[in-house]
Amino acid sequence: MRAIRNIFRRKLRATLTIGGIAIGVLALVVMGAIAEKMTLLVNGGTEYFSDKVTVSESPAHSMAALPMSIDRVAEMEAVDGVNVASAGCTLLLDEDGGASFGMPAMLIGYDLRARDLESFEVTFADGRDLEPGDQGKAVIGSDLVKKLGVEKAGDTIEVRGRTFEVVGIMEATLTAPDTTVLVNLPDAQEIFYDGLPEFVQSMVTQDEVITDLTIYPDEGVDPDQLADRLEAQFDDIDAIGPEKFEEQIGSIADIFNYIVYGVAMVSLVVGGLSVINTMTMSVYERTREIGIRKALGASDWRIIRQFLTESAWIGLIGGIIGLALGSLMTAGGNNAIEQSGTAIFLLTPRLAIGSLAFAVVLGVLSGLYPAWHAARMNPVEALRYE
Amino acid sequence: MSIISVKEVYKRYQLGRENFVHALRGATMQVEKGEMLAIMGPSGSGKSTVMHLMGCLDRPDRGEVWLADRRVDTLPHGELTGIRGKEVGFIFQGFNLIPTLTAVENVALAAEYAGASRGKARERAEDVLKEVSLADRMGHKPGELSGGQQQRVAIARALINEPSVVLGDEPTGDLDTESSREIIGLMKSINERQGTTFVLVTHNPEIGDACHRTVLMLDGAVSEG
Repeated sequence: MRAIRNIFRRKLRATLTIGGIAIGVLALVVMGAIAEKMTLLVNGGTEYFSDKVTVSESPAHSMAALPMSIDRVAEMEAVDGVNVASAGCTLLLDEDGGASFGMPAMLIGYDLRARDLESFEVTFADGRDLEPGDQGKAVIGSDLVKKLGVEKAGDTIEVRGRTFEVVGIMEATLTAPDTTVLVNLPDAQEIFYDGLPEFVQSMVTQDEVITDLTIYPDEGVDPDQLADRLEAQFDDIDAIGPEKFEEQIGSIADIFNYIVYGVAMVSLVVGGLSVINTMTMSVYERTREIGIRKALGASDWRIIRQFLTESAWIGLIGGIIGLALGSLMTAGGNNAIEQSGTAIFLLTPRLAIGSLAFAVVLGVLSGLYPAWHAARMNPVEALRYE
Repeated sequence: MSIISVKEVYKRYQLGRENFVHALRGATMQVEKGEMLAIMGPSGSGKSTVMHLMGCLDRPDRGEVWLADRRVDTLPHGELTGIRGKEVGFIFQGFNLIPTLTAVENVALAAEYAGASRGKARERAEDVLKEVSLADRMGHKPGELSGGQQQRVAIARALINEPSVVLGDEPTGDLDTESSREIIGLMKSINERQGTTFVLVTHNPEIGDACHRTVLMLDGAVSEG
């Protein structure tokens, strides 16, 4: 632990430098945890959309769902390559939307005809899946347990003025289903219909309004090509296949991640500069010591190794502190907003290990110039240094 | 038999753009194996510079330096580093111990640089510290030792690799009279018991008296001895 003793010769300076690295790593961990959560959400969506097409009334992707006629089911199923068109009614769980990160909590009603075709598997921590005819019953995602005050299957919940019996609690998927309440289609249609303006209500009946369709293609049919065909055939719909989802959502997530990591990197670069400063000061202050070491037979490489070890330790200690603070902050943050039903941060092992490794590499890189400068010193001049 | 031979060496240092200091102007001297030699002379006479050449810390601009039958002034940087680690021991005026290391770690460092494992180096360092009567101070850092004790640690460090020659630059310069005599006595007894060659650059006449021979330097050359 000679390196650590050398680092703490100047306690205040060492502490400030390590603090700089720790803040950089803290930023990386916290921002990275947001990005990891975002990535998982997007990956979950990508996986869900990988074999199907989602159809909605154009313009799509509005959080305020537009009504669509259930007659569309028959229209879509008449198209070549469509196996099943499953009607869905997707609504915000909170009427006012609520404040949340990523996907807001949703209420989804769907018909169960296509359940056997669904490849996105969901398992249950308690209870069971919905069955046809389960009126007034719901299945909830793992993140909503606290928000809705549910302890076990069999409890009841209040959703948009209606009471549902919870028949199942899904295991965490770390993606959209975690913040979703699933009900049978007629229940969701009723809520949706009640929320429509009166003039719309006068034009439609409750059992014919839906918001979207999930199209399960026939075996061997490419979902992207099917989406293109559907859009070509019906000019008033938006059909989203896996490729389009990736393009729209994936690219947004990528930009988000670049920004998030970019901000964290700036913090780390500042931390790295403080390591360069500290190590350079240390080399100047220890010029005479370097001269002694050289006189005793230390090779240039030994001198470089000594200073790089010290700067790597600065990085590692700063990294450990930053990671510890980041872990506390992300856990605390998730805990604080648990009531809203959405976890913001996801501190993955790869993020934790990556942050630590980055801190050490940053320390080593920052120590390169001072170490090289120390190794190049002329021993006679170094010994004369006062 | 000469252990060190310095032949007609010249060395100048540049101070500023066009200012040169001629530290050595054709100095020549021999050091015999097992000898205890004092190099004396006024400040600026080139004593320390000639010691740096003997210790492979620097190269002359002209002339030859031989150490243990090997011409060293033409050797590359890496080889000079190796020779410093194994063939030469240094004792400096200000003790020059590393403040964050304990006495035993300071001594062991020289053995580690010469290639010994950390464990082996420590074992040897403990033995050498016992020889210089510091068995009870091994775990102390330099700041916790007296001047005389620090110089004993420095002597132990110089001896740990059993070098061909120990070079001392004002080894009693920072010591009081009593400690100075103690250190001179220690070096003399090591020389007598182990036959270690000592070359001591000094202003202290007591070192001159203790040595077998004294060389006087003046204006970068040997004037006497």
